[in-house]
Amino acid sequence: MNAFEESRVNTTVIDEIVSRHKGKPGELLTVMEEIQEASEFKFLDDASMEYLSSSVKVPLSQIYGVATFYSFFNLKPQGKHTIIVCRGTACHTKGSKILLDDLSILPGCKEAFDSGESSFTTEDKQITVKTVACFGQCALAPVVAVDGVIYSNVTSEQIKKLLQNLQEDNKDENLRLS
Amino acid sequence: MEKRKINITVDGIKYQIKEGKTILESCKDLGISIPSLCYLKDISSNASCGVCVVEVKGAKTLVRSCVTNASEGMEIKTHSPSVNLARITNLQLLLANHPTDCLVCERNGNCELQDIASVLGVNETPYDKTKPLLPLDESSLSLIRDPNKCILCGRCVAVCAEMQTVYAIDFTGRGLKSKITTYKDKGLGNVACTNCGQCALVCPTGAIVERNESSHLLKDIYDENKVVIVQTAPAIRVGIGEAMGMEDGALVTGQMVAALRRLGFDKVFDTQFTADLTIMEEGHELIKRLTTNGKLPMVTSCSPGWIKFIEHFYPKSLAHLSTCKSPQQMFGAVAKTYYAEKMGIDPRRLVVVSIMPCTAKKFECKRPEMNSAYLWWKEKMNLADKEAFFDVDYVLTTRELAKMFKMTGVDFKNLPEEDFDHPLGISTGAGAIFAATGGVMEAAVRTAYEVVAGKPLPDLNLRTVRGFDGIKEAELDINGTKLKVAVAHTLKNARVLLDQIEEGKSPYAFIEVMTCPGGCLGGGGQPIPTTWEIRQKRADSIYREDALKPVRKSHENPAIMELYTDFLKEPLGHISHELLHTEYIERGIY
Repeated sequence: MNAFEESRVNTTVIDEIVSRHKGKPGELLTVMEEIQEASEFKFLDDASMEYLSSSVKVPLSQIYGVATFYSFFNLKPQGKHTIIVCRGTACHTKGSKILLDDLSILPGCKEAFDSGESSFTTEDKQITVKTVACFGQCALAPVVAVDGVIYSNVTSEQIKKLLQNLQEDNKDENLRLS
Repeated sequence: MEKRKINITVDGIKYQIKEGKTILESCKDLGISIPSLCYLKDISSNASCGVCVVEVKGAKTLVRSCVTNASEGMEIKTHSPSVNLARITNLQLLLANHPTDCLVCERNGNCELQDIASVLGVNETPYDKTKPLLPLDESSLSLIRDPNKCILCGRCVAVCAEMQTVYAIDFTGRGLKSKITTYKDKGLGNVACTNCGQCALVCPTGAIVERNESSHLLKDIYDENKVVIVQTAPAIRVGIGEAMGMEDGALVTGQMVAALRRLGFDKVFDTQFTADLTIMEEGHELIKRLTTNGKLPMVTSCSPGWIKFIEHFYPKSLAHLSTCKSPQQMFGAVAKTYYAEKMGIDPRRLVVVSIMPCTAKKFECKRPEMNSAYLWWKEKMNLADKEAFFDVDYVLTTRELAKMFKMTGVDFKNLPEEDFDHPLGISTGAGAIFAATGGVMEAAVRTAYEVVAGKPLPDLNLRTVRGFDGIKEAELDINGTKLKVAVAHTLKNARVLLDQIEEGKSPYAFIEVMTCPGGCLGGGGQPIPTTWEIRQKRADSIYREDALKPVRKSHENPAIMELYTDFLKEPLGHISHELLHTEYIERGIY
């Protein structure tokens, strides 16, 4: 265990989130989403899931089922920045696999995706690379999202630049328009 | 209200049937068998496998007969070429990711997937494997899960959630990564699983099986230095016959004893003997609690799935549990002390084997505190720590025993009937009915009434607690004192009674809980399939066994009387306390 994995969402925060959504349809999903958002490293930690389970009386196995069904939920600490590469059909035909391979310069990244993982986080927890099945932006394929901002028609050159910017911690908004 | 009649046509023949059933069930009533795989009556209808598809005139696609109700005017084809092709393709898609190690699978010869492949005449598996090989879950002392053999039918998830309200497993992941597992893949041994084995009982493949111990046991049987004795639970005699090719619920006590001798056991004893002993101890415990203002209601403690359930989910109510060990554990403790001493056998050489209808018993016998005989002998024999032994060494399910019988080649059906050995094989009808839900209650009443009232019970048959209603109640009148009692089977029903206790609203003095539907005769270690019809037949046989017994009350068992005279002295005495009673722990849910 390290500081990242030991990170916990405060139970009073969970109580507050739970009480705010009590009785609303789709309560569990919203609550889980907000707990993840409240987490310092944007993930659902064990203690929080256990606390949530006992507080909303939903069995832990079911919470885990929900958390693993949606790619939105993270069960591991996430990096400071996130790059999401779309691996849907349109993006695939327009070369999104190459974009994912371009990110292999991050040590361990290639191995993680080759072994079937759909998420990889650098050891220093600076950058997380994820794949999704589709963004619904197929006309703009290949599509990549960086910290929630969508970049379209992305080339190898651009993704390398995006990665470099993140590593240097500065955003280049112009890339989006190019 | 009488159901409306509707007209349907199946394979060109017109029928009039009652409305309200699925196509699959309606056809079954008409004697037309539609192959199905994931569907299991009363348990799950996920419609995930696509094997039960049929053609319905006017429908855009083939329909899944397990989830589509028959309706007026429906024209159904159950075996048209397009139906057959779809069934085979759907099955081949499942087989693409299913291992082909049938020959060495625990379920070889008793597998629904194997059967359906044979019925549909699948002779090739044209599709490539798309899923990675997943590790087995071997964390549990009772059950082993092999996710590679899982076809995601969801039956296990349904019984665990709906019948038992345990929720140890669920669907996780998505697409090719979908699998049934525990929270965070911790494994059944590391989550709140009660080991009831109902999941194994409904699994259509070998994805969940009991931890098979028969090969280790065989070595001990053939070890000249060991004395290997066996006890059989009441429910085995009405289950094992089925697994040996006899009719459902066949009562085969005598053949079972004969076959066990042929297997090589030195003595064949009966758990019903210690069921009678349990009644002596538990009956007196109840009387003590009633007369000394003890914790009420008292709840039975024979069913180890139930024990682990309350330890996980209702630890505040542990004081309501009877402190009596289960009959299996009482047997182990008595065998390795009283019997070993009586026969001059070194307890370290004595191997106690249990044949149980139960997977949770495998866990129970390895609970660290189940070593009373070792503690009993420790000082007397100056035993070292490393010589420690458990009271019960092996637990085999009915299914494992059937396999061993088959291995030895005994002609089970035609074996001459033999009797249990003395003295641990002598039992009463009260011990026999432990196999059925309500049986422990009925047996306890037969003894407690007579001990308290000092006169014979007017009617030995306590019919109000028999049968398969989820929760049964009875009111007893013992010399003018009225006592309410309740019986629950399945953990879902147990929860209802426990919630009453925790809310301080329980009107009962005594409660019996059995983990499995129907009681032990419907246990997770019983032959597959176990349906409600089969449970009923097993129950009928058990009550017949009771009625046939010359002695039907535990306190009149001569071997039990001798055990008290020669060894235990009195119920709840200090030897009983050391050997026959136990304590429970708080486990928490996570």
